[in-house]
Amino acid sequence: MRTIALMLSLAALPVLAQTQSKGNPPNLNGAWAVYRAGRGAAADPKLAAPAAGPMLLKSPYADAYKKRQAAEREADQRGEPLGNRGTLCIPYGMPQMMSAIYPLEILQTPGQITIITEAFSEVRRIYLDEPQAKMGEVAPGYYGHSVGHWDGDMLMVDTIGIKEEVLGFRSMPHSDQVRITERFHLAAPDVLHDQVTVEDPVTLEKPWTFTFAYRRTPNYHLLEYVCENNREYLDDNGVTRLKLQDH
Amino acid sequence: MFDYDHRITLTGTVTKFEWTNPHAYIELDVADANGGAKHYSIECASPNVLTRLGWKFNELKTGDKVTILVNPLKNGKLGGMMEKTTLPDGRTLGDGNPPGGRFDQ
Repeated sequence: MRTIALMLSLAALPVLAQTQSKGNPPNLNGAWAVYRAGRGAAADPKLAAPAAGPMLLKSPYADAYKKRQAAEREADQRGEPLGNRGTLCIPYGMPQMMSAIYPLEILQTPGQITIITEAFSEVRRIYLDEPQAKMGEVAPGYYGHSVGHWDGDMLMVDTIGIKEEVLGFRSMPHSDQVRITERFHLAAPDVLHDQVTVEDPVTLEKPWTFTFAYRRTPNYHLLEYVCENNREYLDDNGVTRLKLQDH
Repeated sequence: MFDYDHRITLTGTVTKFEWTNPHAYIELDVADANGGAKHYSIECASPNVLTRLGWKFNELKTGDKVTILVNPLKNGKLGGMMEKTTLPDGRTLGDGNPPGGRFDQ
């Protein structure tokens, strides 16, 4: 056990200790959409995102998570789907925004990488070659505080300060001590992988790693997305309902 | 909320086409047997998804006659989820259903 803990701390060390970029970064500018293996002529299963590792939650988070999943399945079968913050048009935040249900755009400018998603027009800013703040010193938010650096052709990003209310990827519960580490690299000239590792000493037994894969869409212009007409709402039981327009 | 095991076909007159997020809506008057009309609110995917499926923001105008294949609301109220729409010019545009696939465009 002690050996595993030591290995984990060593694995996390380079991200925290080395914050200065080296090497020539690749060009990530432009619009990207989720890369799906088997879809389109160019789809190559070898370039698809590898399967996510297991999400190992601590008790009682694991029990609550299982209960919620079961309740959602049961409600879906009944035709009364339970809503969540998404139903209320609350943006995803990190890391769910990186799942890119709609395309996203990456802007590389000196000292900064900016990621804009089409869904909810979410924006995250990654400050390059700056030290990370201390845990607990960042005002909790949807995108937190992200710093990054280039390690050769790999972009390493460290994010802290995610609000507890922000629903994690696959609805993973997290505490105010969650840390998200990302490794961006081009798996092919026009295929980008974002390997995400979520660490949370409160809710997770061990870090959880999953990968998002994107394909470059050179001629795509992101559409706007303003949640101005949300007719779906949650009733007292958390069930999604539709407000009808009466005439 | 929507009954994806059942479909109804609604033919009527558009009273409003709302090109909005998180969903577009078609408001539709459907004539009933008594010379009156029943009003339906029909949810569509987002403009983002509809755009990728070939829809334009001005695809429908008030007064247009359309036929819409709809998954009705489970609670029996007059509303549903659009599956496909036959436009006045005869073209048919879909919604990217099933719902699990609506964002997959």
